[in-house]
Order: sequence, then structure tokens, then C-alpha cells
Amino acid sequence: MNNFLQRLSGITSFAMSTLMVLVVLISLTTPFLPSNPTHAVQLHNVQTTTGRMMDPYDKTSRTAEYARLTFDVDADLSSMFNWNTKLLFTYITVDYQSSNGFNRVVVWDRIVRGKRQAKLKLRKHHNKYLLRNFAQTFEGVEGANLTLIVNPVPYLGVMYDKTMSSIPFSIPRALKAGGKK
Amino acid sequence: MEFMAQANKKFGVRSLLVQGLTFLSVLTSAFMIWKGLSLFTNSESPVVVVLSGSMEPAYYRGDILFLHNGYSPIEIGEVVVYKVKEKPIPIVHRVLKVHNDNTSGKQFLLTKGDNNNEADDRGIYNPGQKWISRDDIIGRVRGFVPYAGMGTIWMNDYPQLKMILLGTLCVLSLFTNE
Repeated sequence: MNNFLQRLSGITSFAMSTLMVLVVLISLTTPFLPSNPTHAVQLHNVQTTTGRMMDPYDKTSRTAEYARLTFDVDADLSSMFNWNTKLLFTYITVDYQSSNGFNRVVVWDRIVRGKRQAKLKLRKHHNKYLLRNFAQTFEGVEGANLTLIVNPVPYLGVMYDKTMSSIPFSIPRALKAGGKK
Repeated sequence: MEFMAQANKKFGVRSLLVQGLTFLSVLTSAFMIWKGLSLFTNSESPVVVVLSGSMEPAYYRGDILFLHNGYSPIEIGEVVVYKVKEKPIPIVHRVLKVHNDNTSGKQFLLTKGDNNNEADDRGIYNPGQKWISRDDIIGRVRGFVPYAGMGTIWMNDYPQLKMILLGTLCVLSLFTNE
């Protein structure tokens, strides 16, 4: 072991092996670190209207039914921050059964970057992303649920989701001009 | 036969051939491992490097992602790597909408990059395409290692680096013979 290249090769291979073992250990143990998040979601109101300003990518947007949700979120996610947490991707989904099958869409999301921002206290928030059915109307849509989910993104390791609160609700049909559905 | 024995004595042809064979077997084992992994994960590329900044602050350019595709339907919130038909670049984004059609068994998916505020991916799909399907997905992100792919990014950005690296390897291999 007196050749420079031999020494370099020895050091490099040892470093690589150690790094690989560390990566595997960190990836396996991070999801089991304890956390104690509190979470509560409350839905105030669902309003369905028809039509939106012409969406350049969706020609059917002018006549489709869109639902507008008003909700509150109370959550303390700061205990989900451990040494291997880069950020928390929190999002709220609406899932429902339609005549075609099962559907699930994200209606709101937020990136929580630190413990200070992890105490969510949202009052009367609306959905960030327009909520409409795959078909033109909400006809045949039933069993809707509003769910809060958190995806802790680690600095290194495995991605997983953690479902928080879930509340059922129903999506009303839009009222036509004369007040008839 | 005699000329071969003489050539071996003079130039060490046999040891050169053995070296070549070892080199080839290392190459083919690496290739076999890669293809075996592709089969196991049902993904054409089970390890990818993040090329764009559209998923910041979760993934930065140069992170390596480990993908697993499998056969199960895509679920919401998963970060997937997909390719738009006829466009060769793989894109890493999060699934925003999932609509299942039981009659055809198809899924209609909409994706969005975390860093692209309020703009879903319809701008980068093909013109007139509103959804991507399960077949467009190369894999879902199961795990990742940060910065490990910076070498690939540098090689792509500065092609001279590839030349320099190849040259250095050739020179080194010439000098480390007994």
C-alpha cells in the first residue's frame, strides 16, 4: 500500500461502502421516528356554480359545473419535523365515486418549510385548484370525502404519505337561473 | 501455433486478452443488474437524475431518484416520472388529479410541479392533450439521494468534461499496468 493510486482507491472504496450503508440505514429508520401531529379539518360550505372563464387548455370549462369549498384547518405538524425532514408537503384532497369509477383530486396544497410554519390555522380558505368532475356535471357523484394528507419529504430516503383527518360531505348540483336544479 | 507462442512472449497477448475479458464481464454484469432492476420495478429507467427545478424545494437538479412502477393504479399525491408521448424528456411532477374509468380500465391523470405556481402540466402536454395515462408513467418516486447525480448534470452541461474524463481514464489505464 505505498502507491498513491492504491491508497486513493482504497480510501475511495471504503468511503463509498460506508456511505451506502449509511444511506440504507437512514432510509430505513426515518419513517419510524416518532411524531405526534394534531389535525382537524372543518368544512363550512360547498357552492356549485356553472362555467368559468375560458381555460386555454380546457374547452369544456365554460359549461362545466365547478364546486367551491370553504373550509377551516387546525393542525400542529411541528412534531413531524425530525433531523431528516426537508419539508412537509401538506395537501387536501376530495375523493368521490362517479358513474365511471373512483376519482380523487387535490384541491389545496402548501409546502411547510419549517417548524415555525407547521402550525396551520386556516380560516375560511377556498380550494386552490378548481374542483370539477371529469364529466361536465356532478351528476352521479356521491360519497365525497375531504382529506388532509401530509407527505414528509426527507433530506435523504424514502417518500411516504401520512393521512390526517378525513370528513365526508356531499357536492350539490348547481342551481340553474330559475332556482331549479 | 508457433507464431502465437512467440507473439505471447513478446507482447503478452494472452494477458491483454484476459484483461479485455475481465473488463467485458464487468460491463455485462453492470448491464445485467440494470436490466434486471428494470424488470423488477417494471420501469424502463429505475434510477433517474432530476434535470429541472420544477419540483423545488423538494427535489433539486442533480438529485437521484429511485423509481418503482409496478402495475397498480397511480394514486393521488404520488410523485411520478412520466414522458409526454413523442417527447423524449422524462419529467418529475406530482399527481394532482386521478380519474378512473372502470369500463375501459384507464386512468386519467393530471400532474403539476410543486414549484410551478397555479399552473398544472397541461402547458407541457401535447397540444389538445388534457390528461396523461398510466402508460405514460415511467415510475413513481420511492426514495431519493440528494446531489448524487451532479456528475450527470455537469457532463450534460459541459460536454468537454466527458472528453477530459475519458482521456484521463485512458491515460491512467495505460500507466497502471505491471
